[in-house]
Amino acid sequence: MSQSSKTIQEKITELNQLVAWFDGDDFVIEQALDRYKQAEALAADIEKELLSLKNDIQVVKQKFDRDN
Amino acid sequence: MVETQPRLIFGVSDFIAIVNQTLDYAYPVVEIEGEVSSFKVNQGKYVFFDIKDSQSSIGCFMSVWQLRLPIEDGMKVIVSATPKLTQWGKFSLTIKTIRPSGEGALKKSFDILKAKLDQEGLFAIDRKRQLPSSPQHVAVISSTEAAGYADFVKILNDRWGGVRVDVAHVQVQGASAPDQIIRAINYFNQQQVIPDVLVIIRGGGSADDLSAFNDEPLVRAIAASRIPTLVGVGHETDESLADMVADVRAATPSNAAQILVSDKNDAIKSIRTKTGSLLPRILQIIDRQQQIVTDLVYGAVKQMDRAVDDQVKNLLSIRSILTQLDPNMVLRRGYALIRGDTKPGEVIEVETLKIILKAEVKNVTIK
Repeated sequence: MSQSSKTIQEKITELNQLVAWFDGDDFVIEQALDRYKQAEALAADIEKELLSLKNDIQVVKQKFDRDN
Repeated sequence: MVETQPRLIFGVSDFIAIVNQTLDYAYPVVEIEGEVSSFKVNQGKYVFFDIKDSQSSIGCFMSVWQLRLPIEDGMKVIVSATPKLTQWGKFSLTIKTIRPSGEGALKKSFDILKAKLDQEGLFAIDRKRQLPSSPQHVAVISSTEAAGYADFVKILNDRWGGVRVDVAHVQVQGASAPDQIIRAINYFNQQQVIPDVLVIIRGGGSADDLSAFNDEPLVRAIAASRIPTLVGVGHETDESLADMVADVRAATPSNAAQILVSDKNDAIKSIRTKTGSLLPRILQIIDRQQQIVTDLVYGAVKQMDRAVDDQVKNLLSIRSILTQLDPNMVLRRGYALIRGDTKPGEVIEVETLKIILKAEVKNVTIK
């Protein structure tokens, strides 16, 4: 899945996993800086998306004033 | 000769039909307020009662499925009905809708239905489902012209984005409201891909305005929804049966939007806190590891020092022993070293600190 096709929630989950890595048993200092840069970029992407995304509100065409 | 008009003579059935036609033309539907008496249900299908005031009384008939709220004798109601003369010549009202009138009757009807549904377990906590924490597709049932709906949309848009919201525009008060809301509930529940949450909202109003949300079939439709439900009707102090049966109750439409989605400003704050703490954490880990390396090196050097010290001490001790064993030390103390056979007449060599001399053994005595 490419970065842009992920939902905000998926991106937030990915960021949480990245952050959790720093507290986990898999942590190795050699990878820390790369992971940090990755987290920073993802956080910036999420923030940008959160501020720009609009809800898609549509009134359905179906009428409910009588049985169809 | 005076011509007289032929007198109109009806058959009984014709006359009843004409009276009914006249009534239908003059009063297709009438609304009448009065008190219920002699309420009874026959064969579980037909409802009979009288509606009366202090002076008069009219018989009423309706099907049991039209009964949306509990009715009992003494309750003040407003009926919407068609007046009719039956084939037995009895005047009656065929009821289309019946609703309690006045706060007392509304409250009484509410309490009876609440007790009934509660006994059936419709309000039980273990029936309640959790709403998804971040819904992608939301169905909203409301009047798009209502202030409550506008509040909901404003709060929703302020808080979060990227949600698909399908709105069913329905009446949220009046006699037709419950059926419209039920149709909208069924519409969303019958979608091939159902929404994540079903939100039913309506702003504040009088007890009569909000009574649509105490309609028994509507309450049962909310309970039967396979989509988790979030209901926000009226103000914080208002309590409807629709609220009580919902999976999650919101105090107001605005509160429904707050429950439905997170606040993006909080999310941004949390993301910044999380990522902001990473670099100091890395530096802290590097510091810690540096300290560990320093401690290890220091420990190794200390251990080496100790080993060298031990060796030096050991060497000194050996040297001291060696010194003790040095024959010169004995000579220095004035003793002499004798070499050769110590028998009388033999020549021996005597070594002192400073000289070596040869001497002949004269005599040997055993000590």
